[in-house]
Amino acid sequence: FLLPAPLCLLTLLLPPLGLGVLISPAEPISQAYSLALYMQKNTSTLLQTYLQCQGSPFSDPGFSAPELQLSSLPPAAVSFKTWHALNDRERLSCAQGAFLALTQHLQLVGDDQSDLNPGSPILLAQLGAARLRAQGLLGNMAAIMTALGLPIPPEEDTLGLVPFGASAFERKCRGYVVTREYGHWTDRAVRDLALLKAKYPG
Amino acid sequence: MMDISLCLKRPSRMGDSKRMRMTSNFQWLLLTVLLLYLMNQVNSQKKRTPRDLKCITNNLQVWDCSWRAPSGAGHGAAYEVCFENGSHSCYRLEKNIKLPALLPGDHEITINPLHDFGNFISKFTLNEKNVSLIPDAPEILDLSADFSTSTLHLKWNDKGSVFPHHSNVIWEIKVLRKKNMEIVKLVTHNTTLNGRDTVHHWSWISDMPLECATHYVGIRCYIDDPQFSGRKEWSDWSPLKNISWSPDSQTKVFPQDRVLLVGSDITVCCVTQEKVLSAQIGSTYCPLIHLDGKNVAIKIRNISASESSGTNVVFSVEDNMFGTVIFAGYPPDIPQKLNCETYDLKEIICTWNPGRPTFLVGPRNTSYTLFESFSGKYVRFKRVELPTNESYQLFFQMLPNQEIYNFTLNARNPLGQSESTLLVNITEKVHPHIPTSVKVKDISSTAVTLSWHLPGSFAKIKLLCQIEINKTNSIHELRNVTMRGIENSSYLAALDKLNPYTIYTFRIRCCTDPFWKWSKWSNEKQYLTTEAIPSKGPDTWREWSSDGKNLIIYWKPLPINEANGKILSYNVSCSSDEETQSLSEIPDPQHKAEIQLDKNDYIISVVAKNSVGSSPPSKIASMEIPNDDLKIEQAVRMGNGILLTWNYDPNVTCDYVIKWCNSSRSEPCLMDWKKVPSNSTETIIESDQFRPGVRYNFFVYGCRNQGYQLLRSIIGYVEELAPVVAPNFTVEDTSADSILVKWEEIPVEELRGFLRGYLFYFEKGERDTSKMRVLESGRSDIKVKNITDISQKTLRIADLQGKTSYHLVLRAYTDGGMGPEKSMFVVTKENSVGLIIAILIPVAVAVIVGVVTSILCYRKREWEVIRLWKSLQGWKDRAVLVELACLGRGRSLPRSSGRRSCCSRPDVPKELDPWFQAPPSLQPYIQREEGALPPGCQGGLWLAWPVSRVHRWSSRVAQQKFYSRATSTSTT
Repeated sequence: FLLPAPLCLLTLLLPPLGLGVLISPAEPISQAYSLALYMQKNTSTLLQTYLQCQGSPFSDPGFSAPELQLSSLPPAAVSFKTWHALNDRERLSCAQGAFLALTQHLQLVGDDQSDLNPGSPILLAQLGAARLRAQGLLGNMAAIMTALGLPIPPEEDTLGLVPFGASAFERKCRGYVVTREYGHWTDRAVRDLALLKAKYPG
Repeated sequence: MMDISLCLKRPSRMGDSKRMRMTSNFQWLLLTVLLLYLMNQVNSQKKRTPRDLKCITNNLQVWDCSWRAPSGAGHGAAYEVCFENGSHSCYRLEKNIKLPALLPGDHEITINPLHDFGNFISKFTLNEKNVSLIPDAPEILDLSADFSTSTLHLKWNDKGSVFPHHSNVIWEIKVLRKKNMEIVKLVTHNTTLNGRDTVHHWSWISDMPLECATHYVGIRCYIDDPQFSGRKEWSDWSPLKNISWSPDSQTKVFPQDRVLLVGSDITVCCVTQEKVLSAQIGSTYCPLIHLDGKNVAIKIRNISASESSGTNVVFSVEDNMFGTVIFAGYPPDIPQKLNCETYDLKEIICTWNPGRPTFLVGPRNTSYTLFESFSGKYVRFKRVELPTNESYQLFFQMLPNQEIYNFTLNARNPLGQSESTLLVNITEKVHPHIPTSVKVKDISSTAVTLSWHLPGSFAKIKLLCQIEINKTNSIHELRNVTMRGIENSSYLAALDKLNPYTIYTFRIRCCTDPFWKWSKWSNEKQYLTTEAIPSKGPDTWREWSSDGKNLIIYWKPLPINEANGKILSYNVSCSSDEETQSLSEIPDPQHKAEIQLDKNDYIISVVAKNSVGSSPPSKIASMEIPNDDLKIEQAVRMGNGILLTWNYDPNVTCDYVIKWCNSSRSEPCLMDWKKVPSNSTETIIESDQFRPGVRYNFFVYGCRNQGYQLLRSIIGYVEELAPVVAPNFTVEDTSADSILVKWEEIPVEELRGFLRGYLFYFEKGERDTSKMRVLESGRSDIKVKNITDISQKTLRIADLQGKTSYHLVLRAYTDGGMGPEKSMFVVTKENSVGLIIAILIPVAVAVIVGVVTSILCYRKREWEVIRLWKSLQGWKDRAVLVELACLGRGRSLPRSSGRRSCCSRPDVPKELDPWFQAPPSLQPYIQREEGALPPGCQGGLWLAWPVSRVHRWSSRVAQQKFYSRATSTSTT
C-alpha cells in the first residue's frame, strides 16, 4: 500500500461506512494502520517543535518530565502483559477513548499556544494537523469496530470545566503532556493495529 | 524638673546650737556633724512629701498629672490638690489628677497629702512646656491583602475628633515578614488632623508575593501640633495585624503570569510541603532563600526581555516540577509617524508605527484606541497575531460636515500606556484611489477623449490629474488636467496634438488641491489613433535600365510618422510638356516601377496612398544633367561610415542625393540612396549591407528643378583587405643575363582594396630543392623589387648569370595587406662570349710567360755571376764575389735596407710574393751564412744560394702562386 501520504490521509479521513453493512475488517484495519504509521512519523517533530516554542527549560536538549501527567488524559503506558491480554473491544475502546481525549486536548493546546506563541504559525499548524489526524484515526477505529460488530463508545467531554483558569506555566506543561502522550498513544495504536492486522488478514 | 519648695511648720533649733562654744577643731567637727544631721532631716522631710509631678496629654485637652507618693503613704492614700486656673480649685483624690489643659504660663499646684504623720505640702509650678504629648497607640481598623498584586492595604482611624485643633500627624508603619518578624518595610506617612475622625489608607506592594510568608503590620503616630509647646513623643505601636495565605495541600509557585518591566527585580517563591531541590529561571539556576517551613524563594534581578511564550521559573522537588511564567517586556512606545489621510473623503485611515517592540504578545500585546475629541467617537484596534514593526492602521468613518479631526491614539499594555495626537484637516490629506476604467474615444486623428473613474466624495474639492502619454520609441509626455471634483463619478479629459495612426499608451494619476499625495498610476490603456493622409511623398530615385530604353523608378516606404496610416498603394506618373502618363496603381510592398521612355525630359511623380487619401507627389526628372568634368576619387571608411564631402554649390536648390552600389554588379547600379539637404556639404554613408573588401561606387548628385547632375564619383571600401589572388605573370623573354616578366591585373573582386603596388622577388634556385622556401626579405641572397607604379605591367631583371635557374615570385598588395605569392623557375640562356674568353686567357698567359723568361735569360751578366759563383771554392771567395757584384753595380751596400736593396723586384703584393719569404726548411742555411757574411751585406744573401736549391724552391712557389691565383679568381 504505497499511496503518497497526503492522498492516503484524504482517503482515511472519509467518514466510516454506514452501520448495518457487514464488511471485512481487514480493509479499515489496514487503512487505520497506514494512518497510524504516517502519524508516527510526525509525532516527534510535533513534540520538538512544541518544546522549542516554550523556552528553557522545556527547550533545553533532552528535556523530559515523565512525572507530569494530566488527569483528563489517560496515559498510554501499560504493562505488556495487560496490553497483550486485552481483547479487541477493550483494545479499540482504550485507543478510541484516548484519541477522543487527545483531539479535545490538542484543540485546547492549540488555543493556549495562540495566546502564548501567536508568532509561531508552524507550531499552530502542526497542532492543527495532529488534531485532524487524531480525528481521522478515530473515524477509522469506528469503522473497524463496526466491521467487527463492536459497539462504538459514546463521545465524552473529557476536558470539562477544568482547564480555563490555568496559568501560563500550567498551559505549557499541559501542552507538553498532550503532545508527548499523542506520540505515545500513536505508538501504541500502531502496535494495536498491527496486532489486529495480523489477526484479521485481508 | 519642677521647682520644689518645702515649708516646715516646725520652729528651727538654730539658736540653741549657736550658743555652743568650743575649741575650734572640736567646733568644726561638731558643725559638720550638725550639717549632716540637718541634711538628713531635710531629706527625710522630702521623702515624706509628694514629689516628681509629671503631666502628659494624649489629646491636648486633658493633662494627666501624676506624682510620686511620699514614703510611708500606703496604697489608697488621699491628697488634696489645689491649683490656680482663673480660680482656685482644690480636688481631693488618691493618685493622679486629670486637669483640663491649662493656659500657657506658669501655674502653681499644691499637693497636700492627707495623712497624719507630718504636715508636708508639695508645691509645683506647672507649665505647658513641662507637659508631654503622647498620643494613644493607633488602632488598625483593617489589614487586607490583594494577593494577585502582592499589595497590602492598611486602614486606620486618626481619631481626630479628640484633638482640639488641626495638627500634623506623622504615622510610622512597619511591615514584618516571616515568623521571626524581620522588618522589611518601615515607612512614615503624613496626614493632618482636622477635628473629625478620619479613616486613612496605606497600601504597599511587597517585593515578595504575600503568599510566600506571613506579613505583619504595626503603626504608631506622632502629633506635631505647632501650638503645643510641650514635649511631643511617639505613641506606642499598635497591636500587630498579620496577613497570611492558607495554603492547600498542593504546591504552588507565586506570582503566576506576572508581567514585568524589563530590568526590574522580582522574588518568586514556592509554597510547598516538599523539599525544593533547585530553582531556575530559564536555564539559569538561582540560590534558594528559605522561608517559613519548606517554602523557598528566589530573587531575580534585572530581568531581561522575555521571548514570546514568556520566561519560565521552575522549582524542582524530588519527583516533580512546579513553575510560573514571567512576561518581561516594555510599556508601549509612543506611536510613531501617526498619519491620517483619506482615499475618498468617506473614511479616514490612520497609520502608525508601533516603535520599540514591547516583547509582549497574545493577550499582553498592545491595544490601540483611536479617539476623536470633537465628535467623541473612537475605534479600537484589533490585536494582530504577528507582532511586526510594520505600519498599523485603523479606519475611522468620516462624519458629515466635519473637516477638522483631532485624533488621539492611545496605546496600552499591562505595563503602561502612551499616546500620540494629530490634528488634521482631512480635506488637505486626500490620497485618491487608483483611477479605474480608463477608456479612450476618438475625436480626430490627432485628438482623443480620455475617461476614467475615481471613487470618492470629491464634490467640494478640486482634482488635479496627470496623464502620461507614451509613444513607442519616444520619451513619455505628461499633461496636467485640473477639474472640479464630483461625487463618485467618471472624469473626462480631451487630449490633442497627437500623431495620426500611432499607438499610444495612456495612464492617469490624480491628486487633490492642495496637493497631498498622488494616487497610484492607473493601468495602462493602449490606443491607436485614426489615420490621416500621408504628409509627404515617398523618397524617390530613378535609374535607366542597362539597355537605356526603360526608366526604373525606385521609392522608399514612408516612415510611420509621415505615412499617417497604412500605405495601401502608390501611383506613379510621368509627364512631359505635352502629356502625362499614369501607370496602374502599384500595391504597397512593391517599391519599384519601370516605364519605357525615350530620352526626352520627363518629370516622374510618385504618390503614396492610404485609406484616407494621397500624399503630395514626389517628383524627379528622368534625365540627368550632364557633367563633363568628372574624376573618379577614392574613399575609405572613417569611423562609422564613409565620409563624403563636396563643395557648396549655390546652383543646387532642392537637395543632394548620394547613390551607391557594388561596383562589380551589373547596371543599373543601385544599392541605395540618401537625400541630404541642399545646405549640407558632407555626409556619412552607413549601411548594414556594406562588406569589407568589396568595392562600392558612390555618386553625389546635386538637384536643380527636380533634375539631378552627377557631381562626384567616388570608389571606396568600408574596409580594405589583402588581395585574395596573386597576379598572373609570365616570362616574355630570357637571355643569358636577363629575364623579362609580364603580369596581368588582378580583378577588382579579388583585389579587395586599392592596389598599392607589387613586390617582385628573385633568387638563384631550382625547382624541388631546399631553396623552395618562403622568401624572406631579410635574406641577402634574395633580391626584391617593390613596384609602386601600379600601371607598370612588365619588369626586366638584368645582371643574371647564364645557364642558371632562377626562382621568381610576384605578389600584389593593398593597404589591407599582402596578397598571396605566385612563383616561377626560369633558367637563363648559355653565355658564348664567356666561353671564348675562357679559352683565350690561358693562351695569352702562356705567351706572356715565354716572353718574360726570354727577357730574363737575355740578361747576361747575371748569368755570368752565377756561373762564377759556382766555380768559387770557399765561402770567403763567394763573399768577395758578392762584394764585387755590389760594387760592380755602382751602389754601396746599405746596412739595413732590406732584402731588396741590391736588386729591385717588381712590386707585387708581399703576401703573394714567395720570393721574399724563405721557406722554413731553408732557415738553417740562412742563419749559418749570416754569421759568415760581413755585416752590411745581409741584403744580398738570397744571391748566395746554391742554384740547385733555388731552382727547386722557386718552381714549387710558382706552382703555389698559380693555384692561389686560380682559386682567388674562382672565388671572386
